[in-house]
Amino acid sequence: MPIKKFIHRLIGFSALLLSATPAFATPPPAAMVCVSCHGMNGLGNPNLAPMIAGMDENYLVEQINNFKNGQRKNPLMTSMAMTLPTPEAVQQVSAFFAALPAPAISNIEKRGDNVIITDPAQKLIYQGDWDRNIPACATCHGPSGLGVDHFPRLASQHADYISQQLTAWQTKQRSGDHNNVMATIAQQLTATEIQQLAQYFATMK
Amino acid sequence: MKKLSLIISAGLLFTTFANAEANLPDRQTELPAHAKAASSEYLVPRDLATIPNTEFGNKIKLGYSLFVNSQPMRGQYVGNEQNCANCHMQAGMKANSAPLWGAFMSYPAYRKKNDKVNTYAERIQGCFKYSMNGVAPAVDSPELVALTAYSYWLAMGGLLDKYDMQSTPTPEMSDAVVQLGGKADSFVLPEKIAAALPIEQRNKLAGRGYPKLAKPAETPSIARGEMVYKQTCANCHGDNGQGLKQDGVQSFPPLWGKDAFNWGAGMHRINTAAYFIYENMPLGKSVQLSKQQAWDVAAFMNSHERPQDPRFSGDLKANQEQYHNHQGYYGKSVNGKVLGVHAFPVKTVN
Repeated sequence: MPIKKFIHRLIGFSALLLSATPAFATPPPAAMVCVSCHGMNGLGNPNLAPMIAGMDENYLVEQINNFKNGQRKNPLMTSMAMTLPTPEAVQQVSAFFAALPAPAISNIEKRGDNVIITDPAQKLIYQGDWDRNIPACATCHGPSGLGVDHFPRLASQHADYISQQLTAWQTKQRSGDHNNVMATIAQQLTATEIQQLAQYFATMK
Repeated sequence: MKKLSLIISAGLLFTTFANAEANLPDRQTELPAHAKAASSEYLVPRDLATIPNTEFGNKIKLGYSLFVNSQPMRGQYVGNEQNCANCHMQAGMKANSAPLWGAFMSYPAYRKKNDKVNTYAERIQGCFKYSMNGVAPAVDSPELVALTAYSYWLAMGGLLDKYDMQSTPTPEMSDAVVQLGGKADSFVLPEKIAAALPIEQRNKLAGRGYPKLAKPAETPSIARGEMVYKQTCANCHGDNGQGLKQDGVQSFPPLWGKDAFNWGAGMHRINTAAYFIYENMPLGKSVQLSKQQAWDVAAFMNSHERPQDPRFSGDLKANQEQYHNHQGYYGKSVNGKVLGVHAFPVKTVN
């Protein structure tokens, strides 16, 4: 399907969503294009769009700009990002989604809470694998991967999105991280580990 | 019986050390630094999953937990936002990151200067006083027992594996023995290891401390360091060295200011910081600073105010002369301000 047609369809779909879900805060006009995939609640949809509700505002601004400047390569998102013509529009949209609530996580796990960890994903998240220079994910992404400042939240993110992104870091379809830290770490992960991590984060409750 | 006499002699040693404490002028000797050794020589601690489910094993586990997240001790023993693992990567296991196994095998350390001795437990007490800007837990406190047990377990497991005793479980030892450290005469090593590692060799394990860097070609520059900091470090450690905190949890440590290590901590020395930074930063080693950059950024980091040196008793100059004859800015003027004059409060515990 040509991308233009796809976008038109999405916009139509978003209008439908808008009329069906009046309970949410009204998004700024510039965000209309976003809600078609990310939802009025910003929770995203599996195999379509990531959860962006409650993400750090600066992180969202950075990422929209990365789509615009080609550091993140995704035909759909690049054209969507282009619909935000000014830095103000980018800011507005980011602030809107940053302010939406993300699902609460009970039993938040910090590094050191568990010593003996058998689940391979959980082990990477809280202890890392230093033989490969992989620090614990939670070092930067915070307890239970809830996000720290501009390091994005991973807890309850859609599994397909996490695995796709880790692969994108590996294949250089995604860049723009500071010091190239995430790209370097992602290079060390195996395909199995990527699937395990994605599942683990996605199913956090 | 043998075990009993070991414990008693250890206890006697402790008494001697306790009496000697008052005469010690400076516990914070410079962290030993040596040229980097080949990686094949490093000890590799055993997997955490092999910690036994025993009373001794529980001490080891608590030690690990407190080492990675030291904040449960906040207000009691810890007075800042630091965790032990901030300066000792991989929970104190990583070679060239001041690993606990290297330190454990280096104590008790005899100091010729005053003919006095520090036990391993006393060395860790120093960490609480300086790096954690707090108050040292008592030697027999559960916290100190746990941290020393964890260190011992890392060292002994690594040694057993290195000397082909993979199937030998890490022997359980009394708290007193473990707290003395692996360089004590009374510390029992399996014969094979003892033969390969005579006492005078034990504090020389490859990968201990942070690897020494040659003196920089140019004198470390705060101005150049600031540029390195902004470009490479500020993203995680903040524009003002405050680190990053979210929902009350400090994920990236502060490097200066009220919540950082104090003016007595080893890391305030420019050389120690440069060695650490060059080898261990940034996380994941996606970037390798040049040696000059490491020296410069270490100078920049340590040219800011931090909590006061706990040995300070009102006379900055006297304190500087007595304890700061090393590479650091304490008591020196930087951008028109003498560092230490506006230091933050020390020992911020209840």
